[in-house]
Amino acid sequence: MRYKMGIKNQKFLLFLLCSVFCILPFATTAFSGDKGGVRTVAVITGDEIMGRLKQPSGLFFDEIKKRLYIADSGNGRLVSFDSEFKYMAELTNEAMTLPSSLVRNKEGHFFILDRGKGEIVFIDLEKKVVKSFPLSGVSSAKEQFVPGRMAIDADNRLYIIDKLNRRLIIVEQTGAFVREVTVKDKGFFGFTDVRVDDKGEIYAIDAIAGVVYIFDDKGGIVSRFGSRENKKDNFRFPTSLAVDKNGLIYIMDQHAGRILVFDKKGVFQHAVSRPGVKEGELSYPSYIFIDKEGRIYTIDGNRIQVFQEEKG
Amino acid sequence: MKSSGHIIWLTIGLVIFLGLQPGIIYAKAVKDTRGICLECHSKKAEELTNKAAVHQPVKDGKCTWCHNPHASKHAGLLSYTGSDLCYNCHDQKKGFMGKVVHKPVEEGNCLSCHDAHSSDIMGLLKKAGGEGCFSCHPKESIINKKNVHPEVKNGRCIVCHNPHSSDREGLLIKDKKSLCAGCHPGTGEVFAKAHLGYKVSGTDCLGCHSPHSSDKKGMMKASLHKPFEDNKCSSCHPVGSASVIKSGISLCTECHEAVLAGFNKINSHFFIGGGADNLCNNCHNPHASDEKYLLKDKEARVCYECHNDTKEYVAKSNHKHPKLGICSDCHTSHGSNSQFFLTKGNDTCAMENCHSTQGKFTHPIGEKIIDPRSKTPMNCSTCHNPMGSPEKAVLRFEKDRELCEQCHQM
Repeated sequence: MRYKMGIKNQKFLLFLLCSVFCILPFATTAFSGDKGGVRTVAVITGDEIMGRLKQPSGLFFDEIKKRLYIADSGNGRLVSFDSEFKYMAELTNEAMTLPSSLVRNKEGHFFILDRGKGEIVFIDLEKKVVKSFPLSGVSSAKEQFVPGRMAIDADNRLYIIDKLNRRLIIVEQTGAFVREVTVKDKGFFGFTDVRVDDKGEIYAIDAIAGVVYIFDDKGGIVSRFGSRENKKDNFRFPTSLAVDKNGLIYIMDQHAGRILVFDKKGVFQHAVSRPGVKEGELSYPSYIFIDKEGRIYTIDGNRIQVFQEEKG
Repeated sequence: MKSSGHIIWLTIGLVIFLGLQPGIIYAKAVKDTRGICLECHSKKAEELTNKAAVHQPVKDGKCTWCHNPHASKHAGLLSYTGSDLCYNCHDQKKGFMGKVVHKPVEEGNCLSCHDAHSSDIMGLLKKAGGEGCFSCHPKESIINKKNVHPEVKNGRCIVCHNPHSSDREGLLIKDKKSLCAGCHPGTGEVFAKAHLGYKVSGTDCLGCHSPHSSDKKGMMKASLHKPFEDNKCSSCHPVGSASVIKSGISLCTECHEAVLAGFNKINSHFFIGGGADNLCNNCHNPHASDEKYLLKDKEARVCYECHNDTKEYVAKSNHKHPKLGICSDCHTSHGSNSQFFLTKGNDTCAMENCHSTQGKFTHPIGEKIIDPRSKTPMNCSTCHNPMGSPEKAVLRFEKDRELCEQCHQM
């Protein structure tokens, strides 16, 4: 017996098809790299001249010289790129084994976390000085000092994660201790990444607890949000964060393969990218950085991607 | 007229509401149907009721509490299947919904332990005491040592474990610090002497003692930290005190200094993750352990304490790599210069005794084979996700077409 479709059913089917075709373009663009409000500006994995990146674990965009510096940790070097992300040069030195987190001050000096040595290395390229960065007057701590990722503020102060003592220490570029920032919460495990904005507000993330902290310039908690409980919109394993010029906080969720954007109160705004290995997608990303022009730099595996959000 | 209209609607509402509670209402409304059922099932009834413990509905002849006399979509003409049937009378909220739920309870498989009609064992259990437990938890793995805890030997597992659910790991009936004290109050000269005068009451006995069986005197765990084994407690503690002589990891690194180098890698577990004051105690037990490297618990449990989202991902994956519980087969625990803390980087899968032939006759992989999607070299994990996948062979995509189409246009 053949089923004969009624007029009403035909109209309904037509409506359904039209709806699907109308919604489909928006649905796909919402998450995709190039089309979903995010344009891929550059993808850096290496080439025959510079060689392949191997376990890059930190990067920094120098706003003054408009250069991108990548800590190519596995190759024990820093590599630099111009404003159009063309390879410029590499820096290697015996005093630097496994460069990771890096920042550059206004005078052009680098401060680099050397994971191989478990210390911070100071580099003055003009004077050809590469040496350990000595800290002084650091307040007493229960554990020995093992530095983690770093940030730098407008006054050239360094914000260094003190991994074993579950705190941030703030030091002058001379290495003189200024103050510590910590959290007394029972569920606080320690900081994994840190940033500081132009107002001196400090942003840090605890990857194990999945909590984002915002501190004022004196170290008082302004806001905190996030969790790793298995619920919708919660973090899975947030390892890195960045803040844009509008004060929006970009959280890199490594295990979700996504960047989640929040306002300062922790209200979710939107997501950037989606998990995957194609251009514009993220596969177990570990690091995020945002420059003054709003370009988003990510590290996933042995790949650096640069995105530009397109508003409206 | 108006009020009678209300009564009609109220009655209809009540009927609909009651109709939505079939298990409870229907069960309570049923009559003794024994006479009717036994006309055919007389032999069965005798067999079912002639035991020490008989399920109340069976005793009362209310067969239709559980069975539909006419038709059902479930085997045995049951009204419901699995625990849904049992929870009609046995409130799920009372004892079955703790943070940790016994797997058969979670799966609604009450009948794996209980007989629905009758049993010669109290609690309608199918097997007496520990024999029921040992049918899933092999006796050989629990009572495999010289000295066996008497309650374990007597199969009285429920002295310490709740068979349904608990808010504590291991389905323990009390927290670890007070569980043992119920039988071992921790007082007296013998107790004090055995602990060399250190005050241990209120601590976790299971940190040093094996609760089931042990080859060591005093039910100590299999591996002992050397100073602990040699009764040199003062190496770490002031005499008679549970405090430690040095703070943080320096207590450990004074002897284990070489271990520190293992943390100085691109990816480092030099992190106070587990929340212990001494980083080392996040993963290791400083006294005794039944696990290698004095791990404080089974390896996967130690890792999943922080990587709980990975635990959830693995649990829900249809296909997963075997032996996922031994994380250190593929990952280094202190530090690694490879992504994901892999033991041998991209060669981890090809390690001896694992997939040593892979990559030699399969799709080419290696530094010169570039994944056109990511522009990075291909390795095993380009196509496989060893932590789990919906696809066979832990492939990232469906193997017949979708996987290849990622790179090869067809």
